[in-house]
Amino acid sequence: MVEFYKKGGSKVLSIYWFVILLIIAGGIVAMVYSFYNHPYDVRHLEGDIMINSIADCISRQGRINSGLLNSGEFSQSFKNNFLNECHINFNVEEIFENEPQYYFEVTFYNSGNLNNSIFNIPKGNSNLLASCNIQDEKEYKREIKCIEDDFFSFDSSGELYLIKILVAIKKTEKNVK
Amino acid sequence: MENVIFIILNVLFLAILILFISRQGQGASLLEESYSKQIALLIDSAKPGMTIVLDMTKAKEVAEKNEIDFEDIVISANNIITVKLSEKGGHSYSYFNDVDINIYPNLEIDSYVIEVNKYG
Repeated sequence: MVEFYKKGGSKVLSIYWFVILLIIAGGIVAMVYSFYNHPYDVRHLEGDIMINSIADCISRQGRINSGLLNSGEFSQSFKNNFLNECHINFNVEEIFENEPQYYFEVTFYNSGNLNNSIFNIPKGNSNLLASCNIQDEKEYKREIKCIEDDFFSFDSSGELYLIKILVAIKKTEKNVK
Repeated sequence: MENVIFIILNVLFLAILILFISRQGQGASLLEESYSKQIALLIDSAKPGMTIVLDMTKAKEVAEKNEIDFEDIVISANNIITVKLSEKGGHSYSYFNDVDINIYPNLEIDSYVIEVNKYG
């Protein structure tokens, strides 16, 4: 009689064991699907590369490009032609319907007064800028990636400038689900 | 005998689970996405005169399974890189660096060569 109950008990245990295994398998499958169904978000890398490429164009070896700033005067034509001068192309995939997915802003400050900017170069889709201020809020965290960096550079006469570069990248459809 | 069956079923269960997880990481769509983004970012950070050799052994294996020629898996047009490893698939990603590039396969080392020539 005792043997009978023992056998019954082990069978019940086996069933429970497989139920637990199935629950674990279900959990793992759900996690794996959820992980691989989300695209890689590479916008922070793209933003860093764009900042480096803009910085290389504006300043070389600590000196501001003489085409942009000469004798204390910023060149308006360099600003207007900035994308060509810095070899940046805003072409994107068809799914974005030719809406620029990038925005960047280069701001110059005189080292004597870091509160007021003296020159500014904005390019791209300025609508993205509004999202930069709210990107830390959880709801908007994935919408647009904004990256900012700054550095100091001299002009030809030895004047020191602070240069801030802000880059905003949308490309949500390709990086976020 | 019951114990043996129990152990076999457990091992079978674990094997299926591991197989499932490993296969998920090698799917065509996942590789298409990662290679297209990787190539686009490499071009973004490149300067004229550079030559980049990208190992695409995994892509070749998947493309061969799906009967796609290795020569046809990477397409570059209008600052957009498209990687296609299956008949119905394909993933595109754009790059912002305005450079003129040549991209071609090197069949001997299962790689793609990206030559960055000059600014566009």
